[in-house]
Amino acid sequence: MAEAHAAAQPSHGGGHATVKTYINVAVALALLTAIEVATLYIPGIPHTLLVSALLFMSALKFFLVVGFFMHLRYDSPIMRALFVGPLIIAIAIILALLALLGAFILLPRHVP
Amino acid sequence: MADHTATHAIHDPNIGTTGLDHRKMGMWIFLGSDCMFFGSLIGTYLAYKGKSLSGPGPHDVFNIPLTSYSAALLLASSLFMVLALTRLNEDRIKAAAFWLFATAAFGLHFVLNQVYEFTTFALDEGLTLSTSLFGSSFFVLTGFHGAHVTGGVLWLSILMVLALRGKLDRRDYTKVEIAGLYWHFVDIVWIAIFTIVYLIP
Repeated sequence: MAEAHAAAQPSHGGGHATVKTYINVAVALALLTAIEVATLYIPGIPHTLLVSALLFMSALKFFLVVGFFMHLRYDSPIMRALFVGPLIIAIAIILALLALLGAFILLPRHVP
Repeated sequence: MADHTATHAIHDPNIGTTGLDHRKMGMWIFLGSDCMFFGSLIGTYLAYKGKSLSGPGPHDVFNIPLTSYSAALLLASSLFMVLALTRLNEDRIKAAAFWLFATAAFGLHFVLNQVYEFTTFALDEGLTLSTSLFGSSFFVLTGFHGAHVTGGVLWLSILMVLALRGKLDRRDYTKVEIAGLYWHFVDIVWIAIFTIVYLIP
């Protein structure tokens, strides 16, 4: 029975990344974090460029973790939809709150 | 009897008509809802940013080197989590238990850093939950994240103890994978908080 049960277990190795890939992703995440922090200390970067660069690197790190560590890259489209759908709603909530409260602070303010 | 056993073995009650594991699907649904929860908290923080009438502002109190170190801890723990899962899949239970321990230990270190940060803010800078809009929105957002990390540390510790007691093996892969999904989610939320709250001037 135990053998039958064990035989019924699916193989979990095929659809996932290898240890080497995981380590490469971790190195990429560490480098991106270091660049993010270092960017803060570069003098004279325009505000818009700084914010855009930080958000871009953050998004890249986000999708690296979701795609490789959470295996969403290799997972079923249903699982992907279950996460990406609410993620889009979450971003919409943030933008809606900023718009409602007139607080688009990420963008430079133009005082008339 | 043999036929019955074979049928029983093939039909896994956790697999539904979609061919997907209910438990894993449930975790993704939970993570999706938690995404919206943290989206609301981040939106609230941003909407109130710079509108406090009293108390210190974000960049009067933030300790970027400490927070960067905390971010590195969580990123490293995410790598340890996938290594634990890989070792479990290879049925190397002791190695899986070691990586689960490393993941939980780094998570605990993160929480202790946060406790230190919150204490410093309160005692040295006079910033508490009720000081200002910034204090309220900051502590609620990062506090909820810290609570999630604490929950994850407890969950991983339980899995590690089960592994050390011989009550966790390759057949429990999905259970550990679900804990891993939760842990990586905690990591991605911190990736967002770290940039939006701490780094963006």
